[in-house]
This record gives sequence, C-alpha cells and structure tokens, in this order.
Amino acid sequence: MLTFLIKDLLLFWRDRKEVVTVILLPLLLVVVLSVSMSGLFDEDQSENFDLSLGLVIEDDQDEAMEEFEASVTQSEQIPDDMKPELIRTIQEAPPVEMITEYLTSPELEHWLTVQTMSRSEVDQGIESGNLDAGLIIPENYTAQLLKSIHFDEENKTELSFIAEKTSFEVDMVHNVIQGFLEQMNLQYAISASGSEINASEIQRPEGATEMMADNSSFTISIDQYFTISMGALFVLFMASTVATRTGIEKREHTFNRIALTNTPAFHFLFGKTFATFILSWMQIVLIFIGSHAILGVFSGRSLTFWMGLIFMASIYSFAIAGLSSILTSISLRLKNPDTANGIFMAIIIFCGTIGGNFIPIYILPNWLQEIGEWTPNGLTLAVLMEWLQVEDLSILWMPALSLLSLTLIAFIVCLLLYPKRGEIS
Amino acid sequence: MIETIQLSKAFKERTVVEDVDLYLDKGESVGLLGPNGAGKSTTISMISSLLKPTSGDVKLDGKSVISDPGNIRKVLGVVPQEIALYQELTAYENLKFFGRIYRVPKGQLESRIQETLELVGLKDRQKDIIKTFSGGMKRRINIASALLHNPKILILDEPTVGIDPQSRNYILDMIRQLNESNGTTVLYTSHYMEEVEQLCNRVYIMDHGKVIASGSHSELLSILSNEDTMKVQLNQMNEDFIKAIQDIDVVRQVEETGDGIKIIAKKSANIISSLVKFADQQNIQILNFQMENPSLEDVFLHLTGRTLRD
Ligand SMILES: Nc1ncnc2c1ncn2[C@@H]1O[C@H](COP(=O)(O)OP(=O)(O)OP(=O)(O)O)[C@@H](O)[C@H]1O
Ligand SMILES: [Mg+2]
Repeated sequence: MLTFLIKDLLLFWRDRKEVVTVILLPLLLVVVLSVSMSGLFDEDQSENFDLSLGLVIEDDQDEAMEEFEASVTQSEQIPDDMKPELIRTIQEAPPVEMITEYLTSPELEHWLTVQTMSRSEVDQGIESGNLDAGLIIPENYTAQLLKSIHFDEENKTELSFIAEKTSFEVDMVHNVIQGFLEQMNLQYAISASGSEINASEIQRPEGATEMMADNSSFTISIDQYFTISMGALFVLFMASTVATRTGIEKREHTFNRIALTNTPAFHFLFGKTFATFILSWMQIVLIFIGSHAILGVFSGRSLTFWMGLIFMASIYSFAIAGLSSILTSISLRLKNPDTANGIFMAIIIFCGTIGGNFIPIYILPNWLQEIGEWTPNGLTLAVLMEWLQVEDLSILWMPALSLLSLTLIAFIVCLLLYPKRGEIS
Repeated sequence: MIETIQLSKAFKERTVVEDVDLYLDKGESVGLLGPNGAGKSTTISMISSLLKPTSGDVKLDGKSVISDPGNIRKVLGVVPQEIALYQELTAYENLKFFGRIYRVPKGQLESRIQETLELVGLKDRQKDIIKTFSGGMKRRINIASALLHNPKILILDEPTVGIDPQSRNYILDMIRQLNESNGTTVLYTSHYMEEVEQLCNRVYIMDHGKVIASGSHSELLSILSNEDTMKVQLNQMNEDFIKAIQDIDVVRQVEETGDGIKIIAKKSANIISSLVKFADQQNIQILNFQMENPSLEDVFLHLTGRTLRD
C-alpha cells in the first residue's frame, strides 16, 4: 500500500506546476481578496452577521412601577429618608426598558435585529427559521424583580430564551443577554442594600454548550474569513485533482498493468486516499500559516488556538480523502475522462456554494443552508469561524465526529462503486 | 501449460472473438498473427485476466483461471500493445513500482531492476523521466516492466509497433534470448510476418475473431504446397491486363505490387505463355520474372484474400 502512496506523491511532486497552483493560488486569493475587500469594510471590520431576535414583552412595566412605588411609600422596613432616592433610581432605570434599550443599542445594532412580537409569532418564526432566537419577558417580571431586590422576596419569574437549535450565533445572543443581566443585577443590588442578590437569570435552551463569556471578541476579520473559506475551498479541489489522476492512469494504461497483478483494489484506493489526505493537510496548513505570515491573520492567538486549527484541518483532510476515494471509483467507471471531470467540478461547486465558501451563506434559502452544514467544507468553515471566537475544545468534538462519520460513509460508498474486473471502462 | 477453450467475447452483441482454441506448451514460442481488429488484443486480455470472456475458458496447467486468476497472474508477464508507463516517473521509478506490485521480494528487487535494465539496454538511462525517452526506448521499458517478476509465460502484444528497425531487432533478439536461454514460454502477437517467422515455432492466424489456420511454419506453408507464387516486374500495367490474368483458370490470386504483379497459381501450371500473350496485347513489357518461395504472408493472402496490413 505504501508503494501506491509513494507513487502518487511522487507523481504529484513531478507536476510542479500543479504544486505551485495548488498552494500559491489560494494564498494569493486570500491576500488579494483581503486587501481589496478590507477597503469596503473599513468602518466595520466585523463579519456581517445578521441575527434576528424576537422579543416578547408580557410584562406590564408601568403598572409594576406604580405598585412598587406604592409599596415603597407604605413600607415600614425602609427608612423614610431613603424612599425618594430609591424611587428615583428605579424610575431612572426601569428593568424591561433597560433590556430593550440595550438590545437595540448601537453596539449590537449592526449584527442583531430585534423585533417586538407576540409569543406565537416568536414560536412560528423560530420554527420556520426566520428568527434565530426569542427572548420572553414574562408577566409580572418587573414586579417580581423589584420585590425580590428590595423586599427580599424570592424571585419566581425568569426570562426565557428560546431557540430551535444551539449554534454559535444563538450562543452569542444568549451570552450577550446573560452578561447584561449580570451587570444589571449587580447595579440593582448595590443600589438596594449592598448585599448580592441573584435576581435575574435567563433560562438556557436545552443542550446549549457552555460558553466562555468573552463578549468582546466575537468579530471575525475579513482576512480571517477569507483564509478559512479559501482554505476549505481549495482543499476541496484537491479531492478532484487526485481523482483526475486516476483518469490519467487509465489513459496511460498503467491502471491495466496494475490490474494484471494480484494487488487488491483497496491498495490502489489507499494510495489515492492517503495521498489526498497528506496533500490536503499540507495545503490547508500552508494556507493558514502562509496567510498568517503575510497578513498576520491570526496574530496573538494562543497555542491552543493553533492546535485546534490544525486538529480541524486534519479531520477535514480525512473527509476530503473520503470524497476523493468516491471520485476515484467514479472515474474508474466512466469511459470519458471529461465527463468524470465535469462531474467532479459540479460536486465541488455545489459543495463550495452551499457550504458558503463562494458566497456568504445567509443569502441562501434556509433549507440549503442546512444541507450546507452537512458538506465537509461547510461544516469545517462553520466550526473554524466559531473556533476563532471561542477557544473551547468542546465545540470541536461534534463536528469532528460528523466529519469522521462522513469519511467512513465515503469509504463504504467508494468500495461499493469500485468496478469489478471487466467493468473498468 | 496454457490453453483456451472455445474462448469468445462479445461487446454489446458484436462478437469480436469467437471460439478461439489456443495452446502453449512449456518453453514454446508461439505467434499470433492477424490484421488490425482481428481480435488479438482482446484474446490476450482474456488470457491475462483483464477481461472476462463471454463464454469459453482459459486454463493454466489444466485448471480454469477465469474465476480465480490469482495463479496465472503470478506466472504471467504481459507487454501491452500500448505504452503502459508513468510518463512523469523515471525508468527506475517505474520499474520499482511495478516490481513491488508484482511482489518481487524486497531483497531481489534492486538486482532484478538492474538485470532487466541491462537486458533492454537502458541501464544508463534509468534516472531519466519516461516522457523524455524515444518511442523505441519506451517500448523497451514497457517490456522490462513485464519481466521483473521473472514470468514463466510472456505475452507480447505487438511490442515492436512504430519503432525503427534497429530497436526492433534488438527487441526480437531479446525475446529470442529469453525463450531460448531462460525457457520462457512466449506468445508473440504481431502483424509483421517476418517477426513471427523469425521468432516462433508455431503460429496461429486470426481474422475476424476466429483462428483461421494454425501450425508450425512448414505446416502452414504446406497449405500452399499445391501453389506457385510468381513475381512479375512490368514497365506498366492496366486493369484489362490484370483482369485477363485473373481469368486464367489456374490462377488463384493476382495482387498488384509496386512495380508489377504477384500471381498465385496452381502448382506447375504453365501460365507463362498466356502471360506473354496478354502483355503483348496490352503493349506491356515484362522486365523480370521470378518464382518465389511462399511466405506466411502468402498463406494469409490465400486464406483471406487480403494482405495482413490491408
Ligand atoms: N472495449 C471494447 N468495446 C467494444 N469493442 C471493442 C472493445 N475492445 C475491442 N473492441 C473491438 O474488438 C475488435 C478486435 O479488437 P482487438 O483490439 O482485439 O484487435 P487486434 O487484433 O488487437 O487489432 P490491432 O492489430 O489493431 O491491435 C475491434 O473491432 C475492436 O473495435
Ligand atoms: Mg491489438
């Protein structure tokens, strides 16, 4: 099997033109795109997220405020001289208003769109995918909150945060809200008695991953985006490049010579597949390192970050190797190498498009986006974007497992497609 | 050692090999002759387990190899009609790769590569990339690649096609040497009669997918034993003249050569007087007249009415 691997790598190495194209072209593209596009995004270097949050306010803040003022005035626990001061603080910062104001503040405005709507509209919106998440401020929220802060009553109401599935974006919104609430709690607590009261919490959607609360770093720079998406894209081409060589081996009759020996089919496939793995890996890692060397794309990142990056690159390369094994089987079955190449290009452009390597994925219809996350490149792109925000190893496991399963399925398909004697066209 | 029984192959209803019976004894050198499209390569592909026959069987030492080709692959070296080499690799790298997939033991591989390179006379070019080789050199490496595992049986499919006479003689000598001193059984395919006449003890002649004649050189020639071949050199000729000669009842065949005609006629029939008479009538001068020993080419012409390279 090693014999085949050496042969395939040697053949690739002999074709210097291809080596140069495969490695320099994506690097060049990253640089050119980053430089030219960064002009367009000068004011706002952050990636263009557009998240929509449905806000449901079931709470009647005004009524609660009036009630609260009344109970403060009547209270015997609170000294009379503190009462006007307390009422003034609350009036200056009514909790629900603070939340809505924060959510629509300029800070969040460019990536978060908040719409106030009814509970049922939120449910529908999330189901249909038009909304990324919903935040529900329940009935009596203000009243309960104020009471719990100032009269030491237990707080029974909670904000609910709902989302169809957990994703990086959803986690981000959740985190932002959580962070804000913590601050608000602290403020109220200080203004009340000095003792710390955990007044407000939001319910997390089920199965949500623990996030590291670093809300300041969730922007992806344009050059980071291009590095990752071009890396994922060009590796995709590698699958086809290697499989195309099978067509050459058929044309040059060397494949027949191999078929004349007692070599099992999977040795031939192994050579192709493992060569694809090695070449893809080198390619993607070189794109990352090259972009970093030229543009400083990942400057100041930790060792953990780099390890995660290279880990995902390796897993992704496995998936690409799986893809190339299928393409190899296809190419053995098809008589015309041009047909084979056409099919490869179609597969790659399809994967590249729905995986979001060519165009920002959010302009695609929802169902296509969902398929996109099942393409190895789409998944890798999404995970690495997330990895750029949060260096939490737990976000890598699931995608890594998915990619490995995809690889396994690819190998099975490839063996099923592999032609028997006399079926080679 | 090796035999085919009623071997047939059809591609989509079109039968290209039909009921072919061949056998090769140990140490024999057998020729397979036939014009383009006769089905030679298809027959070889079936023997060498590349192609499954539509019907019929291939046996090695009495055992069928159709469903279990493992054994025949071990002892068979096949030189395909086309150059089957990695054009981007060096001669040495090609040989090393093919040697390894033929499972030449690691310890012997290096010396086998050097021996075969020596045999094909390209030892000093082993570090060069195949792409840079001449046609004849590629042919020689193409043969070398089939020899690394010391095959007991060597099948060569037109190994001398499209190369200069010098390379051709080199290759023919090499094959003869393998057959005579190594005892390698050889099946040699060609449409060059001379090669087969030089090299092979026995010949099969194929046409339109069938074996139309077989036997040793002299056996085949005896097919023509009741015929004479005459070569007539003329200063000019025309259709009426050829027609007139064809119409002589003892004449079997008239073929135009570059400078005259070739006549196959019944043995000892005297056609010279008629020949002179017709030439006179048409104002044609006979420049030379010669009785010829028949060749396999004539046998083929006799059997099919066509020349081998029609
Ligand atoms: N894979 C195939 N599919 C369909 N027809 C085929 C196939 N391979 C060969 N043929 C046909 O079978 C016939 C015999 O071909 P083959 O290559 O065996 O002839 P050959 O005797 O080797 O001729 P040549 O001297 O030109 O090499 C030809 O008519 C060819 O077109
Ligand atoms: Mg042929």
